[in-house]
Amino acid sequence: MENAKNKSFVGKLTESRNFGLVLGLIVLLLVAAVITPSMYSLNSIISMLQNNAVYGLLAIGEMMVIITAGIDISIGATLSLVGVVCCRLMAENPGVPGVVWVLLALVLGALCGAFNGLIVGYFKMVPMIATLGTMYIFRGFSFLFSGGQWWFPHQFTEGYQAFATLRIFGVVPSILVILVVVFILAALFLGYTSRGRRIYAIGTNKESAQIAGIKEEKVTFLAMTLCGMLAGLSGMLYTANYATCSYGIGEGYEMTAIAICILGGVSITGGKGKVDGVIIGFLMMAVITYFISLLPGLSVWSDAIQGAIIIAAVALNKFTERSAEKRALKERSALI
Amino acid sequence: MSDYILELKDVVKTFGGVTALNGVQFQLKQGEIHALMGENGAGKSTFIKVITGVHQPDSGMMLLEGEKITLRSTEDSAKLGIAAIYQHVTAFPDLSVTENIFMGQEIKNKLGIYNWKLMTKRAKELIEPLSKNIDVSKPMSTLSVAQQQLVEIAKALSRDARILIMDEPTASLSRRECEELYQITERLRDDGVSIIFITHKFEDMYRLATRVTVFRDSQYIGAWDVDKISNQKLIAAMVGRELTQMYPEKSAKIGDVVLKVNDISKEGYFKNVSFDVRKGEILALTGLVGAGRTEVCQNIFGIMTPDAGSFELEGQTVQIKSPIDALKYGIGLLPEDRQTQGLINELPIYQNVSSADMGKFVKGGKLDVSAEEQKAIELCQKIQLKAKDISAPPSSLSGGNQQKVVFAKLLNCDLKVLILDEPTKGIDVGAKYSIYEIMNELTANGYAIIMVSSEMPEVLGMADRIVVMRNGRVAGQFEAEGTTQEMILEASLKQEEGREN
Amino acid sequence: MSENKNTAPARDLTVKQGFKLSKFLVSWEMVLVYILLLINLVLMATRTNLYFSGGTVQSIIQSGMDVCPLVLGMILILMLGDIDVSVAATMIFASMATGLCCQAGMPAIVGVLAGLVAGGLCGAFNGFFVAYVGMPAVIVTIATSMLFRGIVKIVLDVNVLKVFPSFYVTIAWSNIAGIPLALILFLVMSAGFIFLLQKSKFGRQLYIIGNNATCAQYSGIDVKKTKLIVFILMGVMCGVASIFFVGRMGGSVSSTMGTGYEMTAIAICVLGGVSTNGGKGKVYGSVIATLIMAFLTYTLGLLEVDANSRKIVTGFILIIAVLIPNVNRQLIANLKLKFIYKGNKNVEALNIKTAEEVKALRAAIAELQKDSTVSDADKSAKIKKNEEKIVSLQKKCKEQTAAWLEEQREDERKAKERFAAK
Repeated sequence: MENAKNKSFVGKLTESRNFGLVLGLIVLLLVAAVITPSMYSLNSIISMLQNNAVYGLLAIGEMMVIITAGIDISIGATLSLVGVVCCRLMAENPGVPGVVWVLLALVLGALCGAFNGLIVGYFKMVPMIATLGTMYIFRGFSFLFSGGQWWFPHQFTEGYQAFATLRIFGVVPSILVILVVVFILAALFLGYTSRGRRIYAIGTNKESAQIAGIKEEKVTFLAMTLCGMLAGLSGMLYTANYATCSYGIGEGYEMTAIAICILGGVSITGGKGKVDGVIIGFLMMAVITYFISLLPGLSVWSDAIQGAIIIAAVALNKFTERSAEKRALKERSALI
Repeated sequence: MSDYILELKDVVKTFGGVTALNGVQFQLKQGEIHALMGENGAGKSTFIKVITGVHQPDSGMMLLEGEKITLRSTEDSAKLGIAAIYQHVTAFPDLSVTENIFMGQEIKNKLGIYNWKLMTKRAKELIEPLSKNIDVSKPMSTLSVAQQQLVEIAKALSRDARILIMDEPTASLSRRECEELYQITERLRDDGVSIIFITHKFEDMYRLATRVTVFRDSQYIGAWDVDKISNQKLIAAMVGRELTQMYPEKSAKIGDVVLKVNDISKEGYFKNVSFDVRKGEILALTGLVGAGRTEVCQNIFGIMTPDAGSFELEGQTVQIKSPIDALKYGIGLLPEDRQTQGLINELPIYQNVSSADMGKFVKGGKLDVSAEEQKAIELCQKIQLKAKDISAPPSSLSGGNQQKVVFAKLLNCDLKVLILDEPTKGIDVGAKYSIYEIMNELTANGYAIIMVSSEMPEVLGMADRIVVMRNGRVAGQFEAEGTTQEMILEASLKQEEGREN
Repeated sequence: MSENKNTAPARDLTVKQGFKLSKFLVSWEMVLVYILLLINLVLMATRTNLYFSGGTVQSIIQSGMDVCPLVLGMILILMLGDIDVSVAATMIFASMATGLCCQAGMPAIVGVLAGLVAGGLCGAFNGFFVAYVGMPAVIVTIATSMLFRGIVKIVLDVNVLKVFPSFYVTIAWSNIAGIPLALILFLVMSAGFIFLLQKSKFGRQLYIIGNNATCAQYSGIDVKKTKLIVFILMGVMCGVASIFFVGRMGGSVSSTMGTGYEMTAIAICVLGGVSTNGGKGKVYGSVIATLIMAFLTYTLGLLEVDANSRKIVTGFILIIAVLIPNVNRQLIANLKLKFIYKGNKNVEALNIKTAEEVKALRAAIAELQKDSTVSDADKSAKIKKNEEKIVSLQKKCKEQTAAWLEEQREDERKAKERFAAK
């Protein structure tokens, strides 16, 4: 049957996006290797991943929101708020074990996300505007709580820092282990649980979702809460990783997270996107930023390059979509 | 204990101020195929949503095997073995066939983790008997409409449905696909499933159903045994009056050719379409839904541009690249979907009316609002618009009056050719009549009209000439005089078998 | 249905409803005016000396004016249903263009033009991707805000541009006859925008596109071109904003300045009643909102609320301003239905009907009391009769409601049992 052949062709094409990304990644790595060979020591690769890990966490959360056809630009502010709260309480109560702060971060982050979920899911606010407002609010509270203060390494307890920097088996920092665990859990959640699949369902067709008995409000609320939770976790891990904190951390991180999602093939109109794509997007972004930071004088270029990458990625998505449409029309033409 | 497996009594459902169902009743016998018929907007779709628990009725009773039930959600109805296949296939296009089948009733292990393997296996088992050509791991969007419908049937079967509702499943299927669907439907009935089959096509009803219920204007009209009611009577029940009185007399004189469409093609939509329309003439463009009629109109109006072919306007070849060009040449389109394409629901009527040609109201760089209002009032009075005043928003009007606003908008431009895409869709019978009157008056004033319509009586009652399209090509042209429904139907359906491979 | 026949007389469709003061007084724009007055009163009462000392009000207004050109441009963007978060970056980009020209010793006019053109180009870049490539405006402008600011960073690094035309500072800091020059310019520009948006054909096209872009296309409006023009206009307004902004900063600019201005501009527009879904809003609402924001910021400053806490206020204002229009009658009716009538529409209908009848009877009573033609005895008898009717109606309604709700509970219980078993 002719149809079967066509389908496998389309199937190949959808796979080729990831393929293209991997190819791009390899090219990038090669170029980087030629220009700065020092990049390829185990240590530098690990530190590259370690310093970018929070972007990965943020991107996974952002991805869930984008799949519902929404967007959350308050995650940088959530990161800051949670980071500041954790640091301040930690500095004031050095005796408390580190795991408490992780839990606190998760809960606080989830609360921030839940607030977003409430006004977007239940009060039907436009996600962009709603999270713009909460971004202000969270960032403001972050400052209030910090009192404009900075925290420095000597104030950080070992138990706190261990969640980011402790080397498991003497090699892998714990923040990366956490990142990998989050990747796996997210993949499981999005691929293998009904709640996860419902996130895709409302993103791909809201009306069908309603008929299938899926409550759009609830799913949006869940996705935004999870996103906030991951942002909260990143806040705690960020401060633990660098052992410094101020209310200004995480500014513009939401943009990087969105960029990673788009690079990873998450459709901004909802319904499409996978964890493996986001992982590749994350790796690409990590290599690019690290590469830039290695070259002297190039660090001022990082923002411009990131912006250009996002535009290129979305434009690329648009063009593949258009050519797929054209191909579909051609197939239909054969039947006329 | 009861003759009927499903019975509904006095069901009322309103949305905001609009009554979608007004005290309807319905009886379904065990193991029968029961046709439910009625025009667009008769309330059939809402009715199904009530049965499946998507909407809760405002009042009324629903009895399953004689026992009163209350459905709070689709989950409830699914548990009772009620499943529906909706008119617009309500799939999740980005999700796989397997997932579409199991959405809402996933197979999970104790931890709540999906068992994809088992689901895929089950999906294959369900799909196999229906079609051999569907790969359950592919996204739904890669399937044809007919295949998607089969997936929906598989979905219903996976829920052990006892009652299956099919909402116009044959609307966009080829004849051969229809025949396959008929056979599957009959097989289901023989397996003991009771089926409500909603359709526009009499053919479906005669082929499958033993009983038929008719709704009209949100109300229950009656139920009959299929072999005991004449075609004529059934149509009368659906439209509310005898066919003969439905169309006003024509008075227009037909003149020279105004617009000539020469051999236009558009990849994926239609090929080699040619026809012409004359001054004072109504040319009907008919055929099945999906035959490419709307797309032809959109090409003439410049929404899309054809890959090949040309347009001739009063003997001159013209290039139409956008609606701006089309309006400039005097070609106007009354779009099929007036809510999204024809009206701006939030803006006042007069702004809607002036929207397609605002240039004439500009005075010194400023829009002259009182001139706008004056012109709009003049036009709306001509077509007898019923509204509070000219600044009311179209959302406050009935369907028929909304359509009149779109008419007024076209009349505000200086046009020669009017393309009317399903001008009476979703409009109640009385308002339809006044739309026909407007059309006749326009032709009398020298407009050439191209009317796209799926309703056979309308085509025969209004048109001077008829172009039938089938699967993206012109399948036949008829003079209205002496043409019968059968001739048109035959042209729009014939030799479908040839193209399947 | 038969009144559709030709014999029907022409309907009077003229707009009968003229200007209604009561309606005007509660319109959103007027509410904004009240808020503005309230803030002023609070300020006046708490800091009397300061308020009446020379220059305070002027400096408050001046402090809020640097964002005003962005607000005006943003109204058009939001009107289309799009958004532009790159405006702050574009503004800095334009400032840089002017600054570089002036630094190179070119005449002031060239510098100003360079700024406007640079802004326009940035806008055209955004507009191209949004209108012609069809990418979502949010994403495009997020990316371009990084891009534009990134370019400024590359060019300027950590340097500060300090050579600007001298009138920049004049615009931002001086008064004419006691009125801030910036305010005068703002009002003049606003008048231009009011004409553009509310009186011209172009503005009408924006409303149409914002409400229904598909319909706009079918009405022969070039949607893509219009979008591009609006984005370019926004870019040029960023160039204008750079004049106000640089002046405000005392004639200097660096790559890190002006962050967050895009958010302030959007917040002001939303507060001013411009819908983020497109197609709704007026210019003067946002003009008042600009002043409110200026006074609010200043007042909070006086109350020793720091800049960052003001962000919280801005954020809440943004959210509340969007939520208020959502809290309308329909929502209240829905909530009532859900909680008071337990989702039972029969009960709702009955209660509404009863309430109406009671209201009618009460009106009749009031009428009777005023009526002097009827004797007192008659009057009281009739009133009594009506009152009895009210009581009986209400009682009936209550009983029926209770019965229906009981029935519903029974149904639900049964349903639960049934579905629990399966």
